[in-house]
Amino acid sequence: MRVCRCARSFLLAACACFVALPAWATVTQQAKTVLPEEATITIPGPLRSFLRMAGISQQVSPGQVLPALARNVVTLGYSRWQDRPGPPTEFMVLLIRYLQQARELTRLAGADGAIRVSGCDQATPLLHVLGYRFRRGCGTPLETANSERAFLTIDAGFPLVDLEDDLHAGKPFTYSFPGSRVPILFQETDWTSIRGVRTRSLLDALLEDPALSRLYAALAHLDPETGLALKQSVGLGRLIPVSAALDFYGSRIEIRSGRVMVPGGIPAQSSWKELAGASPTSPGSFVLRLMSKDQGWLAAYFDVLSRTTPARQAYFTEPHRLRRFYAALRGRDSSPDAYRREFRPNATLLLLVTQLPLGPTGLPQVPGNLEVWKEIFRQKNNAKAAGSLAKHVARWQSSDQLMEALFAASRVELGSGPLQMYLVLSELDAQRSPGRRLSPPTVRLLANHFEEFSDQYLIFSEFPDLNNASVTRFLTVAESLDRIHDQTLRGNAMGIFESNVGLWQIFARQGEIPKSSLNSSWQQVTGPFVKISSAAQLFDAGRVSLRELMKAATGKSACSQDQIIELLAGPPQSSPDAGRVHEAVAKTLRSDLDGQRLVSLDTILALGQELDAAAKSGAQTVTLPLAGELREFEMPRPIFTRGERTKWATGVYNNDHTDLEMRTDLSKLLKSHPSPERLAAARGELAPFLRDSLVGLNYAYYEPPGAQILHYNPLFVRSHDFSGETVSGLPSMWKTPQLFGVGSPAGGGAHLVGSLANVPYVLAEAEEDFIAPGNVQALIWKETVSVLLADAVLSRWWNISRNELHAVALYQEAGEELLVAAENNQQLRQEIIEIFSGRMAPGRLARVETALQTGDTAGARQLIMPADSFYLEAEFRQKFPQESASSGRAGRELQVLASRHPADTNWNRLSHDFGVLHPMLAESYDRELLNLSPFPPCEGYGSRLLAESWDSNNLYWARLADEMGYSPVMLNQLVPLLTRRMVENIFASDADDWPALLRALRQTGQEFRQGKMASLPPKSTISQVAEPSPAKKSPN
Amino acid sequence: MTKSCFLHFAVLLALLLGAVPPTPAQEKESRIVVVVDMVQLNVAVTDNKGNYVTGLKPQDFAVTEDGIAERIATFGEGNEPARSLLDAADAQSLAGDKLQPARQASQEAPESFASAISGANVYVLFDTSNYMYRHFVYAQDAIADFVRALEPANKIALYSYSRDLSRAATLTADRSQVLRGVRATVAGDDAALYNALLLTVKDAARQTGRKVVVVFSNGPDNASTVPPEDVAELGQSSGVSIYMISTQQARLDPLSTAVFERMTAATGGKAYFARNWTDQEKAFASIRDDLAHLYSISYYPRPNPNRGWRTISVKLVGEHLKKYHIRTRNGYRPQPVRPSVENASASGPQSAPQ
Repeated sequence: MRVCRCARSFLLAACACFVALPAWATVTQQAKTVLPEEATITIPGPLRSFLRMAGISQQVSPGQVLPALARNVVTLGYSRWQDRPGPPTEFMVLLIRYLQQARELTRLAGADGAIRVSGCDQATPLLHVLGYRFRRGCGTPLETANSERAFLTIDAGFPLVDLEDDLHAGKPFTYSFPGSRVPILFQETDWTSIRGVRTRSLLDALLEDPALSRLYAALAHLDPETGLALKQSVGLGRLIPVSAALDFYGSRIEIRSGRVMVPGGIPAQSSWKELAGASPTSPGSFVLRLMSKDQGWLAAYFDVLSRTTPARQAYFTEPHRLRRFYAALRGRDSSPDAYRREFRPNATLLLLVTQLPLGPTGLPQVPGNLEVWKEIFRQKNNAKAAGSLAKHVARWQSSDQLMEALFAASRVELGSGPLQMYLVLSELDAQRSPGRRLSPPTVRLLANHFEEFSDQYLIFSEFPDLNNASVTRFLTVAESLDRIHDQTLRGNAMGIFESNVGLWQIFARQGEIPKSSLNSSWQQVTGPFVKISSAAQLFDAGRVSLRELMKAATGKSACSQDQIIELLAGPPQSSPDAGRVHEAVAKTLRSDLDGQRLVSLDTILALGQELDAAAKSGAQTVTLPLAGELREFEMPRPIFTRGERTKWATGVYNNDHTDLEMRTDLSKLLKSHPSPERLAAARGELAPFLRDSLVGLNYAYYEPPGAQILHYNPLFVRSHDFSGETVSGLPSMWKTPQLFGVGSPAGGGAHLVGSLANVPYVLAEAEEDFIAPGNVQALIWKETVSVLLADAVLSRWWNISRNELHAVALYQEAGEELLVAAENNQQLRQEIIEIFSGRMAPGRLARVETALQTGDTAGARQLIMPADSFYLEAEFRQKFPQESASSGRAGRELQVLASRHPADTNWNRLSHDFGVLHPMLAESYDRELLNLSPFPPCEGYGSRLLAESWDSNNLYWARLADEMGYSPVMLNQLVPLLTRRMVENIFASDADDWPALLRALRQTGQEFRQGKMASLPPKSTISQVAEPSPAKKSPN
Repeated sequence: MTKSCFLHFAVLLALLLGAVPPTPAQEKESRIVVVVDMVQLNVAVTDNKGNYVTGLKPQDFAVTEDGIAERIATFGEGNEPARSLLDAADAQSLAGDKLQPARQASQEAPESFASAISGANVYVLFDTSNYMYRHFVYAQDAIADFVRALEPANKIALYSYSRDLSRAATLTADRSQVLRGVRATVAGDDAALYNALLLTVKDAARQTGRKVVVVFSNGPDNASTVPPEDVAELGQSSGVSIYMISTQQARLDPLSTAVFERMTAATGGKAYFARNWTDQEKAFASIRDDLAHLYSISYYPRPNPNRGWRTISVKLVGEHLKKYHIRTRNGYRPQPVRPSVENASASGPQSAPQ
């Protein structure tokens, strides 16, 4: 029997959808001229206990408690029935029971808030409240008397063992049980006087009323001035009906000097007035209209436009476009609404507006040409997405009309619709130089095959040098493989082909395949697979392709497993330190292959060669022991019978591929004096083994930190299902693989079904739960951790100069120096705020500004991510070059370094070397710093966009390495270790809790600097920076 | 005596292995590098009524691995310290499995080895998933009782799991610390029993001496990515016995029952299904008895070309002993060498096992 209580602990890591940081949290002092004094309420009992019961991270500040509670009430407090709140969930029942118990305990406590028990006699009332009793009289162990109460006692973290020990020892027991005061928004009566609120306690009101909680959560992440203005101009009661829209889309609303700041600024004000039906100069009316119009769609439109860059805003908010695009987005019917779901819908709209590539003229780029997109929209399914606009496709004359149709398409949720196509293809095209743009036929081809192959296209955005012919070749081969009738052959063919392409991708990324031969090597590696009709042909194709790959990477077509491992481990290194790191990486790769007990590539290739020779000469010259190696693999000792597997893991357990391999007996064949034809065909029996070894190399390269499956489940690689043998109904086997067999003990373990696209992320997804969180009640934050782990293994640092590493550290330090200098310099403060306004929501920006105004530099630093300070210094140097010269020590040092080594301090280079991946957000595996504020969780994406917009890790790890004297190449070992430790340290309350990432990052940094981390690689020769480095400050 | 013996053994093995440069053929053969440590067995000897048979001597046991007779290196009974039966000459003659030196012998200080083998290292793994929600507090009481009842010589760690593992108390002789760990556990979320058990067995495997994992669970697993077979093999290969304590509720799930019974049997442990969580006395007594009466036998495998599963057989020598029953693990698979980083259970300061 499974009791689902939507575990509170789950909250801490993975569910919920609302805002993370309340606008007023952790601000040490408010802007006194504007805001009233901070009010507080008392929560019964210790805060630690309440946070445990309310599913809130223990690491939040008091100011964050009520917003986090409000959010959890909304997301987990009540079951839903037809979009309306239903009865309270188990989470809420327990929370309410806990508060009752806490109030009872408060009554037992003395005036000083301490519970005191001097002996067994006095313990009875306390034990009654706690739900425990003595087992065999005074001083004996305690046991459960009332399971309901006992559960609350334990779950809330009451020190039962202390009580037990003291009673056993005959000592008095004392436990401080004070109420906990936490700040609230406005005054308590502002909330309890709202019509319909039936209690005088804000705490109880929030627990009872999810709509009120949602409003509280929504207002908590506005900037204080805006929140107050709304309260005063509209009133809290009137805001409740729009609380859902305000919660999803209100965080960018900013009221200043009696006016709502609209995207596009003053020139766009009249258009917004027209759209909303109220003027931005009447903030209350405007916001109410904005939030309520068209079931939240105008609010969603306002929000996405507020999040984009000024250049894109200028394009989108040109009055004519602003109206037309909105009309397209709204369509004829505004249902379903934009806010009643758990996560905000329309992630593609957000991506379109924030990522749209604009050409030099300020207009969107159109991959191929407009004619191709007309064709795309004429296709039946795509036309449906554009609605009535599709009828006018023939009359399109500009990219604006295409854009209009894309806005319309954003309302139709099609995973492979025209909007998704545009996002992928425009990114793919945007990276190309003008002479290398995608041709219209290529765009047409990519669009036609989008549904099947789109996940494979990321390789073309990562390598924009791959020309139209290379793109076409890939699609031709993929299509051909897709048509192989025999499922086993098709699976093996797709596995070998994709593995070789995967190896090509790694070698090309690491610079081991020269840029000048990317296209030729691509053609050579993919070409052999154009026509496959037998296993023997497949083996030959795989072998030829592999040789071509080696030739491209080494200049020689000789191929051994060790050579491939050496290449995968990174380019050859000349220094002893780098050589050691290289060897350590290679050792890890070998260990993975050993864990999977795969047949060595050398054995497979040697056998293939010997079979060729034997077939040609007619003599049996194949080494029998070599053939015997194919049969060395043993299945894990079975726990289940075949019948039990059929019964308990139907449709999950399927090891046909491995069974086939285990039946393969080349030795027996060779002893039977086969004909030359049979010998020639026998090499086809090597194809499944070749597939496994090649897939194994790909898996091993992307092994996430903390991985266990790769080491302990030897069927993991072998079970990768490339052709849908084990699962039916998947739309395409070329998509990102899915994890099957989770939680099916008789199923033989989890395995991947699908292609090798996005395999770093999926492997991380499979392995992440083997990392044990360091905080009680914390759980692994699903999508976010997968992204962090994938980033940690995909990023490599083989060609980073010491100056570059030092520059990354200096940028961050210099950014922090600017913050310190801004304390007493109003002009500088304004300049900083202006720079930050491009990457911070108004709520956070206001808190930073307040902290700087009040001289609370430490408070301001706590709100700043490493990427913020890095970006601040980079922007500041560009915008105010004359002021940079007079900055602090790090700024001056950076100035010197930049003048002497401009290439090493260049933004683009640092962005490429220390950026992160954005496969979902920017449709690319290229590393880049995108300069974004954290994305909200979205339907269909969860927290993945948030994780991809988190670009602080590599910058911070680099700064730590520089400070601690590690050479850049050591990052190859340090980053996976640091990331794993960071994951252990994450203690988040909900799916939008990016500050939890910042806390975990800093905590990990502290541990690293204090030498508290286990398993660190030995520090190599101290890094010698090119420029003299004065004493450094520790990073935060 | 023990000290010098192990020291010599380590040096000799290292010299022996280091002295012979590998030929290309050997390189090919040893492509998959495996570690064959000293193999350690927990052996229960019982009569027909299930009573433990005590007082047996090393010469009463015959150990074979894949049919190859093995020489017992250390021997102990119950909580008494194991004693070495080898001297330096023995070590040389027992060149051992050429695949790898005996890591344990070469890395452990002899004193710590001798002291560690006294008493057992008990890893308690507590299911705190949603499946245990209704019984959570009763199961906690049961675990607290179990911890209090274990002999002082034993060290205990308390781990809990739902979707993820939590190392609530690392291995310690301090019962109070473990009890605090028990009472600090939090209920809720999915159940990944086999993932958590794998990590627990790995932690236990790093300890010298007898090591057991005792799982308190109602059985179901809806979140693991590794199957029980892999966990059982690791337990067998690393000499970690697994015990499962559960209730009749688990009997309702035949899959869990099958896994519990077979996995525990394969690793030399046992499964118990009491009426409910407040009725576990018999199980506790049985495990206590096991820990107090198990014979601890170890050997260094003689050269064995088998890189796959190796079958272990333990028999009693002499007609008068043939009537007794033996319970121990039935084999192991040599483990591949893993980088030290992978071997670390946690990179942080607090959660690394002691």
